[in-house]
Amino acid sequence: MSAVPPYAELVAATNFSFLRGAAHPQHMVLTALLLGHTGLGIADRNTVAGVVRAYCALKDLREEGAPPPEKVRDGSGPGEYVFVEHPRTGAMPVARDELKVLAQAFKLVVGARLAFADGTPDIVVYPTDRAAWGRLCRLLSLGKRRAKKAGCVLTFDDLLADPSGLLLIVLPSQPFDGLSHLLGQVDEAAPGAVWLGATMHRRGDDRRRLARLKASAAAARVPLLATNDALYDEPGARDLQDVLTCIREKVTIHRAGRLLEVNAERHLKRPAEMARLFADAPEALEETQHLLSRIDFSLKELEYDYPEETVPPGWTAQAWLQEVTWRRAAIRYPDGVPSKVEALLKEELALIARLDYARYFLTILDIVRVAEDKGILCQGRGSAANSAVCYVLGITAVDPAEHDLLFARFISEERREPPDIDVDFEHERREEIIQHIYEKYGRERAGIAATVISYRPRSAMREVGKALGLSEDVTARLASTQWSSWGTDIKDAHVAQAGLDPHNPLIRQALDLARRLLGFPRHLSQHVGGFVLTRGRLDETVPIGNAAMKDRTFIEWDKDDIDATGLMKIDVLALGMLTCIRKSFDLMRRHGLGDLALHDVEPDDQAVYDMLCKADSLGVFQVESRAQMNMLPRLKPRKFYDLVIQVAIVRPGPIQGDMVHPYLRRRAKLETENYPSPSPEHGDEDELYQVLNKTLGVPLFQEQAMRLAMVAAKFSDTEANQLRRSMATFRHVGTIGHFETQMVERMVARGYERAFAQRCFDQIKGFGSYGFPESHAASFAKLVYVSSWIKCHHPAVFACALLNSQPMGFYAPAQIVRDAQEHGVEVRAVDVNHSFHDCTLEDAGGALALRLGFRQVDGLGEEAGASVVGHRRTGYSSVEDLARRTRLPARVLRRLADADAMRSMGLDRRNALWEVRRIPDNAPLPLFAAADARELGDEPAVDLAHMSLGEHVAADYQTLRLSLKAHPMQILRPLFEAERVLTCAEASARADGARARTAGIVLVRQRPGNGNAIFITLEDETGITNVVLWARLFEQFRREVMAARLLLVEGQVQKSPEGVVHLMAERVFDRTEILKQLSEVHEAAPEFARADEFVHPQQPRGASSHPRNVRVLPKSRDFH
Amino acid sequence: MLVEAVRGAQRLAAVSREALRLGLAPGLPLADARARVPNLLVREHEPSADSALLARMAEDAQRWTPLVALDPPHGLMLDVTGCAHLFDGEAAMRERVLQRLRRGGFSARGSLAGTPEAARALARFGRAAVVPTGHEAEAVRPLSIAALELPEETALALRRAGFKRIGDLADRPSAPLTSRFGPELSTKLRRLLGREDVRITPERPLPTCSAERAFAEPISRSETIARVLRALIEQVCAQLEGRGEGGRAFEARFDRTDGAKRRIGAEAGRPLRDPEAIDRLFRERLDALADPLDPGFGFDSIVLSVLASEPLDSVQPTLDGRAVAENEVADLIDRLIARFGPARVARFVPVDTHDPVRAARLVPATVESREGEAWPRPEPGEPPTRPLHLLEPPEPVEAVAEVPDGPPIRFRWRRALHDVARAEGPERILPEWWRDRQTPARDYYRVEDARGRRFWLFREGQYEEGESPRWYLHGLFA
Repeated sequence: MSAVPPYAELVAATNFSFLRGAAHPQHMVLTALLLGHTGLGIADRNTVAGVVRAYCALKDLREEGAPPPEKVRDGSGPGEYVFVEHPRTGAMPVARDELKVLAQAFKLVVGARLAFADGTPDIVVYPTDRAAWGRLCRLLSLGKRRAKKAGCVLTFDDLLADPSGLLLIVLPSQPFDGLSHLLGQVDEAAPGAVWLGATMHRRGDDRRRLARLKASAAAARVPLLATNDALYDEPGARDLQDVLTCIREKVTIHRAGRLLEVNAERHLKRPAEMARLFADAPEALEETQHLLSRIDFSLKELEYDYPEETVPPGWTAQAWLQEVTWRRAAIRYPDGVPSKVEALLKEELALIARLDYARYFLTILDIVRVAEDKGILCQGRGSAANSAVCYVLGITAVDPAEHDLLFARFISEERREPPDIDVDFEHERREEIIQHIYEKYGRERAGIAATVISYRPRSAMREVGKALGLSEDVTARLASTQWSSWGTDIKDAHVAQAGLDPHNPLIRQALDLARRLLGFPRHLSQHVGGFVLTRGRLDETVPIGNAAMKDRTFIEWDKDDIDATGLMKIDVLALGMLTCIRKSFDLMRRHGLGDLALHDVEPDDQAVYDMLCKADSLGVFQVESRAQMNMLPRLKPRKFYDLVIQVAIVRPGPIQGDMVHPYLRRRAKLETENYPSPSPEHGDEDELYQVLNKTLGVPLFQEQAMRLAMVAAKFSDTEANQLRRSMATFRHVGTIGHFETQMVERMVARGYERAFAQRCFDQIKGFGSYGFPESHAASFAKLVYVSSWIKCHHPAVFACALLNSQPMGFYAPAQIVRDAQEHGVEVRAVDVNHSFHDCTLEDAGGALALRLGFRQVDGLGEEAGASVVGHRRTGYSSVEDLARRTRLPARVLRRLADADAMRSMGLDRRNALWEVRRIPDNAPLPLFAAADARELGDEPAVDLAHMSLGEHVAADYQTLRLSLKAHPMQILRPLFEAERVLTCAEASARADGARARTAGIVLVRQRPGNGNAIFITLEDETGITNVVLWARLFEQFRREVMAARLLLVEGQVQKSPEGVVHLMAERVFDRTEILKQLSEVHEAAPEFARADEFVHPQQPRGASSHPRNVRVLPKSRDFH
Repeated sequence: MLVEAVRGAQRLAAVSREALRLGLAPGLPLADARARVPNLLVREHEPSADSALLARMAEDAQRWTPLVALDPPHGLMLDVTGCAHLFDGEAAMRERVLQRLRRGGFSARGSLAGTPEAARALARFGRAAVVPTGHEAEAVRPLSIAALELPEETALALRRAGFKRIGDLADRPSAPLTSRFGPELSTKLRRLLGREDVRITPERPLPTCSAERAFAEPISRSETIARVLRALIEQVCAQLEGRGEGGRAFEARFDRTDGAKRRIGAEAGRPLRDPEAIDRLFRERLDALADPLDPGFGFDSIVLSVLASEPLDSVQPTLDGRAVAENEVADLIDRLIARFGPARVARFVPVDTHDPVRAARLVPATVESREGEAWPRPEPGEPPTRPLHLLEPPEPVEAVAEVPDGPPIRFRWRRALHDVARAEGPERILPEWWRDRQTPARDYYRVEDARGRRFWLFREGQYEEGESPRWYLHGLFA
């Protein structure tokens, strides 16, 4: 047998050809490598979104001799890689070194497959150099900007405009008559850089087609190129590809018919097979090598350059940064820069100079300054809080004079990764910053990073079910088998739980396909706020397209891709609490309560800590959640660092690592601090003390966990880096196994106890999901302190600002208002003669009273409120007066009357409505309007029935979602008293272990973490009750829990020494019906708090689940 | 439990009593309902099926009164003025109507009142009963204002104003009410209280054509019957022509002097109004009757009606008579069906699949051909890729072929050896994995033997997989 000619597949799609390609880029690379291709061309449909992953996969193979972690079967140790997912390619497990060698010689070329809007056959485009890559990116940007959401509209002429440096492969689906003409056209535009792609997919007429293509190619003097137009790595992926086709075409598999591929030929094939298929045109095989050799471009050539606008002329970036830093330091420390800080600044500036990051800092500074100018509060978070430079520049608020910062966590010389600064802005005004960035740097130089939206168990199951034609019913049941859509695996047990047989072949098939679909990218979406800015054109580095949101454009790469290609990203994030704090400061200024900024709130005020120790933290940043509130009386924060710990400790990391209780015990001096030591021959017995003494010997922060790996298990920098990376992908991929053995065994070998080692590792695993690095916790703790301080000293201001910043936080307006009332604030009702759109503060004999604004009225727009305020002058005397002056549509007036906002005119809700409904819903007659006279004649007084308090309360809940008149439970109390139901206050006052029956409005239902228990918060007129319902009982009472707005709970009171009270539910009754007694005709439907997981499901349902946590996920590089 | 998609979300559209007891009400999102009660039996809501059912019930209700109106989505309005005495008075009639519905498996509520609105309000919101004329006001006063069935916004406003029952509104001067809640309220109120009456608009009777011939002397000779039938057919066809329609279903009713009625139906595969064709259908039907028409002492009348009709344009035959030829095929089908029954006459329709065995399917010839059903045609200028004649099951052949996937060089089929002169392939067709994961792939070849005969052969499986694959002949090209 003669030698097999070399071959490289040059038309390979990945699953970034959304709903077409059926293999991950990294699998395509690995398979091509194992099959003996000399290279691979990745070309996805009108996108380059997947190429970085392919590039990284090859890089990993070259460096590690191992495929990316996804390919490793869980539990196999390093060096024992088995290619379990590729049995059918016939690849024998290749030794690591052999793979390295193969990978070195393997050439990956990246480009895109252009699918035209004008009917031209697809053309695959590969740039030969950096400049050509830029042209391709701009071409794709052009098409994407032109298209509406998620499309790309390109025409043949767009390509022909400037194809220099691009290699083009024309891929007709069928030979056709004009083909040689078309080839001629392309060849004229790009002389000598055109190929005609031919495929042999065993369609019957392959040879005849090949002959015709050959003839067309010859006529146009264009070489023929052998390809397999691959959609997946191995033939077994055919079914998945069919399912993708069904999803794309929105048909079921049974009706898809010939939309599907006839066979499974579109996989990567061995060179020998390609040679056999192309026996009639061996030269087409040679062309693959020829084409490969013409390409001299790799993604590593994309170099990044920071924008330069921020440096004034005549300065170097570094000099300017130093200048600004020292200038600002002098302002920050008016009494002179402390020597500790001075040393830090010098050290940091030197490192910044060595790594040439000055322009990065200046860019951030510029953005922060713009925010300052606009009066928008902002604060850096994450590892940037480890930097003294960031502090003096006003980017972060953690004072280096008071805290030990670890700059090395932020930027490290050996990591050589660009720094990552995340800055939070007020959530209501972040868009201004975003638009400023676009304006300043231009759309072609600034873009938001992408987020790859991938299939999760729920969505995968639903789509597969639909494609297989399963009934809606079964599909929904399969899809809802899990509470979380964040998992990575669909378990048989879950299926059985849903009452379906996991061994039924059809279900089996659906599950199998859904499992394989997991993690497939579905589409690109914009990142929450990660901006990439460049000095040159960004759209010559990566295509930029329109986001679904107006005025937003984003690039095709996500943050991992950005890291891998060395671009720089700035996270411009939104934080509701900043809005609230800024509004508080504004209110304080307006009412003469002082002029404050984030960093000059009086530190260490014991009154604030007293308040927090009582768990009186409703509305306060971070520590307002149920879990945090339970922790406060236990942890008893007395100084700022305690808050840092408080923020970090109620996280899955410390909880899963079982670190919380040891810490609390040690803090309460019930247990002595001890620091496990290695055997003496293995080093310093104090090695862990250095790492852990700040947290009493218990690792609570991410940094500590990673330091632990390095110090106790002697992980090298590289290994720690790998661990860090695999932690970052842990929640996506679930392969951290081999690190476990590595870390635990090494610690044991060095003389640590196995149990301790295991606990340390468990915690690292927990951090993989959600844990806080110390600096990040410190940034947040700052906001906790500031918000607590405002709440403590100015409760009216705080409540007002909080209401005006809604929606944010855990609580609904009803609870915020009530909390304010409990803190002695007088709350006044919405009124047309007193209210503004926002809630306001009114003078109430020295104190401030909170006046609710029109924003609390459901369905009332800002303009309506403005109109009422604008025409108010000295006040409205009657409904007609109001209607005439404001000219508001009748619909709006009715809403105001319905909200009982006309009491100042002597009209209660019912009478106001009666009056308002008389106002005709059209423009006044011109004559009356001109005379500004009354239009309506007099009418006999109508005697309307009296509206009871219950009816008012019910109507208040309907229109305002809260009532100042009474709590619904207060009105229902006689009914419950008759049933011997305790108030919440009475229940809480009972002794530990006593039995209690209590009822209340359901505020929050949560099922945190492992889902063993459901937490329900009930509220009545006396306070709240925290109910705990074990999961097995939940199944029994599921309907009650899920449906009830008013719940009666029977159970046992459990009281902790710190006074934290829980009611352990034994029986649960849905008493929602009784709400009808409030009013025969008005159904009060009290609102769930925003923290309720069932009404406001939160994507990663972590333990202390909160929507904000999605945005505060720590960056993987916050530690090393 | 029925669900429908409302703005992208699945919501409950209708629920059973059991579900209602569990607190699941229409309008609730399905996901919420499931969260509360995980094992729900859910079906898609089909409003069109509902309204079809309601229409059928309306038809059935014509037994009580000719004036039946639909009150969608789930009501019927019967004007029984002057009918009640036929059924022993109003109360008894109401009972019988409801009983009939209950026997049919429906739960039904019904009220009888002087105005349709009052009856409807009582049936839906009150205690269903018979209200003597003039007493409507009394009966509806205690009803909740929901019985007015006003838009939600108006209803809420009325409740907010403190009006809870119809009675609260009944005694108020209407001017202030009208100025606030619109004239609609006053109108509804008047009708509900029986102060104003509107007649119902009954369902239009089914648009049928029919022709009838009554005889002074009963007829019994089959020739006469046939002649009369033919005359009736011609009359009906004239009527159909006038309406621009053709009949799809016909029925002849033969009324015997002793009161027995015999009905003979005939259906056509396409709208018909050619008397000859219709007559032929009836002749086929009458000939094929297992139980021949027995005139007894003779028929005293014959009625021919068209039960279903469809628009039919007059067809101008083209010059080559093509349209006529198509009609003839259709006529033939109708006649075959009339003789052998619809189940036994079938035709092929294409199926959209790659699998050659499943590419055609037999359906009853009467089934309308659906749109988009087109037989795949080869590319212009390309040879046909599928044989005209398919052997089912494929016949095994002995073949010699080039390894691994070359075409056969020679093969033996039914003991005759064929030398392959030309061949094309393979065309690899995989079984449809969602039906069948076992069958190996088939590699099909179109081959021509030395004598110019063309065959469609396939190899099942691959040579490379160890055991030697087998060859089959699957079809013959013309």
